Amino acid sequence: MPVYSISHVENVRVCVVMVGLPARGKSLIAQKIVRYLSWLSIKSKCFNVGTYRRDLQKAADIGNITADFFDPNNPDGMHFRRQAIDLALQDMMNWFLDENGVVGILDATNSTRDRRNRIVKVLRENLIEPIFLESFCNDQDLVLQNILDVKTTSPDYVGSDLQFATEDFLKRIELYEKNYETMDVSIDANLTFIKLVNVNSQIILNRIESYLESRIVYYVMNLHIKPRSIYLSRHGESEYNLTGQIGGDSNLSERGWRYAKKLPELVLKSLGEENKHTNLTVWTSTLARTQQTSSFLPYKRKLQWKALDELDAGECDGMTYEEIENQFPEDFKARDDNKYEYRYRGGESYRDIVIRLEPIIMELERQENILIITHQAVLRCLYAYFMNVPQEESPWMSIPLHTLIKLEPRAYHTVVSRIKADIPAVSTYKEKGTSQLGEQNNSTSSKSRDIINNSDIVP
Amino acid sequence: MSAIDSDPEQAEIELVNGFGADSLESTPVPHGRRTTKRWSFHNHGKPVLFDKSGGNTKRRLSDIDMVHKEIDPFHISPAQLYSTESGRLFHAGKICIVLCGLPGRGKTHLAVSLTRYLRWLGVKTHSFHLGNYRRAKAEADLDFELFMPRVEDNAFRQNIVGECIDDILHFFENDKGQVAIYDAVNALPEHRLELNDKFAQLNIQALFIESLVTEDQIISKNVEQAARSSPDYKNWDYAKAYKDYSDRIKVLTPYYLEMGDLETKLSYIKFINFGERIELHNSNYGYLIQKVVFYLMNSRIKSGSVFFARCYKNDLDFSFDPPLDSDGDVYAKNLTETILRYMKKQGKPLSLVSDRKDKEALSLDQRHPTAGVDGTSHDSFVVWTSVKQRTIQATKYLSQYTTNIRHRIQLAQKNPGVAFGMTEEEIKKEFPTDYENFVKDPYHHRFSRAESYHDLAIKIEPLILEMERMSGDILIIADETVLRVFYGYLMSCNCYDIPSLNFATDEIIEIKFNAYYNSAKVIPIKDFSSSANALALVSPESL
Repeated sequence: MPVYSISHVENVRVCVVMVGLPARGKSLIAQKIVRYLSWLSIKSKCFNVGTYRRDLQKAADIGNITADFFDPNNPDGMHFRRQAIDLALQDMMNWFLDENGVVGILDATNSTRDRRNRIVKVLRENLIEPIFLESFCNDQDLVLQNILDVKTTSPDYVGSDLQFATEDFLKRIELYEKNYETMDVSIDANLTFIKLVNVNSQIILNRIESYLESRIVYYVMNLHIKPRSIYLSRHGESEYNLTGQIGGDSNLSERGWRYAKKLPELVLKSLGEENKHTNLTVWTSTLARTQQTSSFLPYKRKLQWKALDELDAGECDGMTYEEIENQFPEDFKARDDNKYEYRYRGGESYRDIVIRLEPIIMELERQENILIITHQAVLRCLYAYFMNVPQEESPWMSIPLHTLIKLEPRAYHTVVSRIKADIPAVSTYKEKGTSQLGEQNNSTSSKSRDIINNSDIVP
Repeated sequence: MSAIDSDPEQAEIELVNGFGADSLESTPVPHGRRTTKRWSFHNHGKPVLFDKSGGNTKRRLSDIDMVHKEIDPFHISPAQLYSTESGRLFHAGKICIVLCGLPGRGKTHLAVSLTRYLRWLGVKTHSFHLGNYRRAKAEADLDFELFMPRVEDNAFRQNIVGECIDDILHFFENDKGQVAIYDAVNALPEHRLELNDKFAQLNIQALFIESLVTEDQIISKNVEQAARSSPDYKNWDYAKAYKDYSDRIKVLTPYYLEMGDLETKLSYIKFINFGERIELHNSNYGYLIQKVVFYLMNSRIKSGSVFFARCYKNDLDFSFDPPLDSDGDVYAKNLTETILRYMKKQGKPLSLVSDRKDKEALSLDQRHPTAGVDGTSHDSFVVWTSVKQRTIQATKYLSQYTTNIRHRIQLAQKNPGVAFGMTEEEIKKEFPTDYENFVKDPYHHRFSRAESYHDLAIKIEPLILEMERMSGDILIIADETVLRVFYGYLMSCNCYDIPSLNFATDEIIEIKFNAYYNSAKVIPIKDFSSSANALALVSPESL
């Protein structure tokens, strides 16, 4: 499905108001929406009320708080919480105005109708009709799983004992539960809302009134919060890689075959002893080099996707960068100037790849443990999606051959680890402004490459 | 498909007679004789990719909606991303969408519009309307006894249901079908469970969509429409038809059991008041069904039409963007005058924006309109232009009558790339291989630096869904290349026809939405410039 750019949503303003008890995956959903929309070039931002509350506490010199702060009968707590939401809303309205924001997300529990009505009024004063997104969950296993994730990462429990954090957090949830009013098809019939029951086993969509809202819903429907690992790898070194040619459908080189043979072992090592029987789904492109790379993997579910094929270089397919520079000097420069938008003669741009990858992203969100073997440009786009890498940087990221990348999406961040196969391969990385391959340390684009080289945890 | 290439006139007749309900009515049917065509595409070979006329001849717009046409296994749809050996896409397997709901709940509309959308995506989809089978079998007079689900030994009903299901299975087994839409009342839980089991055994996923209406107003509107246009009531007196249809609903109502607790194991969607509320149960579906839900969220009851106006000076350079000249100004006036007169004739006159009273400010307790969303009310009139001056300025007179004028970047003409400004001979000489590929497949071929029609189709998908969302009228002023693709969607064209559809500058094309098929109509733009007092802008009252 096609990409929106800002000009297509010139008049649209959407405020997504999250609803639900703590540990229902709200922040996860909120952040994913922001990531997805940003990937599609729609300006969006999440306003986490908890962060505002913590800032207020800090300003008032209140240290770590415990569950009784969230007691509805605690006037101090109520005061801070009310102030926090007012500040968050105010910032969001300014963001809509000053930065032409399109989708703002208010991430808080918003668990009482009274609170929600107050929010609705503020938004309507600003001519915005809100859309409520409730994550309703009465499956205790799912909730506990989520708590496990949250208590280890929530800023409210920094430095706290784990046992204490879990107990305190459960108490906090209990206090919220007392006054919790879920979205109701008759009482709230006039509001736009989405209610997700036990992740996605039941979904209610009420009065979805714009295309953009439907896109958000469509995305959220495809999400799940089960823990999982996503493995990404380029194909093993190919014959074309050796000659520096781009595109084509060549076979693996001798070293490429060695990588393919080693890949099953790398995956097993990364899964760890206790998970060695995990059944992965394997996706490849339709090109020979990715299928050859997958050929020694013991997993039964292997799918080929046309959408995972390498960026189509059109007339330049099969050429080296040097040849391109000589034959199409203007194109060569144009591509360096705006690599994301540049479309090869008769071929594709990075934006085109994002368009064709979109169905894959939806399907990928629905999958559990998965290994994707694809190509440099496609991997850059997939990686940019998971790690929230901006468009200006993503086409310049270095993704070396013979390296397995593991992504583990968590509530507040994605954990990245890389496993080197220790099999030599040529570098296919091309710096800006040159047709030579290989990475130089003092280059201008090293900053963007650091995204993958240095930071293992991206907030 | 090949039939169209050889003889367009013949093809049109064939289309109407194909699987549509109308034709079944036109010839008296001897009792018991089978008249629905056995479902099969077997005689079709691969489509003829070569347009024998060389791709240069303009094809007259056909006003026949092809949504009911049988599609052959090699059919390629306008927005299809890829094709597979099995003919099935998205690793989604075979799906039967079973509609449930009393008469007058818009099931047929739902079946047809879903078919249109899924086919557009390249999914081999066909809707099977039980009503067509019933009409083919029943005697001249429709007896609503025939609709009763619980009558023991209702051999007639069992018979037609069996036949319809057989055709669905045949479609899956032999014709690379991926989605079958079974359009029937399906009133009883036991029947629905039975269907589910039957399909599950054959590895076909069943998805139930139940259309419920809680507002009497919507139902009576639907009854009116059915009495007027349902093939069941062809040649009936309106009042009699209205009563018969209402009686049919009344008779069936006590039998109908809403989907719920008995069917917890089924995947089902409740579609309430045409999308006001949608409830999904057991909704861990695949990509394709999520797309269906996505479409449902954007589907609305239509009271308006879509109007296409080809912009003035359509053939200008892709990058050149001059303002309208004086002839263009006359075009803008004539276009406005034609629209105003036509809308008035339809009983939906557009009033001057300046004459409208300011709406009272809404209280904060009331629902506000969603920010930046057009076309939500049934009497709205929305205009889309591209971002080119010649389309923007074409609305300069119309802007006195509507404030909903939007400039959409996706409506820019197809980028001709290196082939711009060249004659066919020149292209042939300069790019012989390209030319050969273009002639073979003018829809998908992309010249260097250019866009293909396929690229356009993918690009405008958001606009298509936004268009589906709108209840009122919408006028699209754009380049011919873009209009072809829109038209292709609304009339379910084969992608090989789209590049040669012809739009004239002095015509507006209106597409009307009907439950069973869309229809196209030509509205000539007349020259009003000589009769000064006729100009809307001089004296709007004179209309």
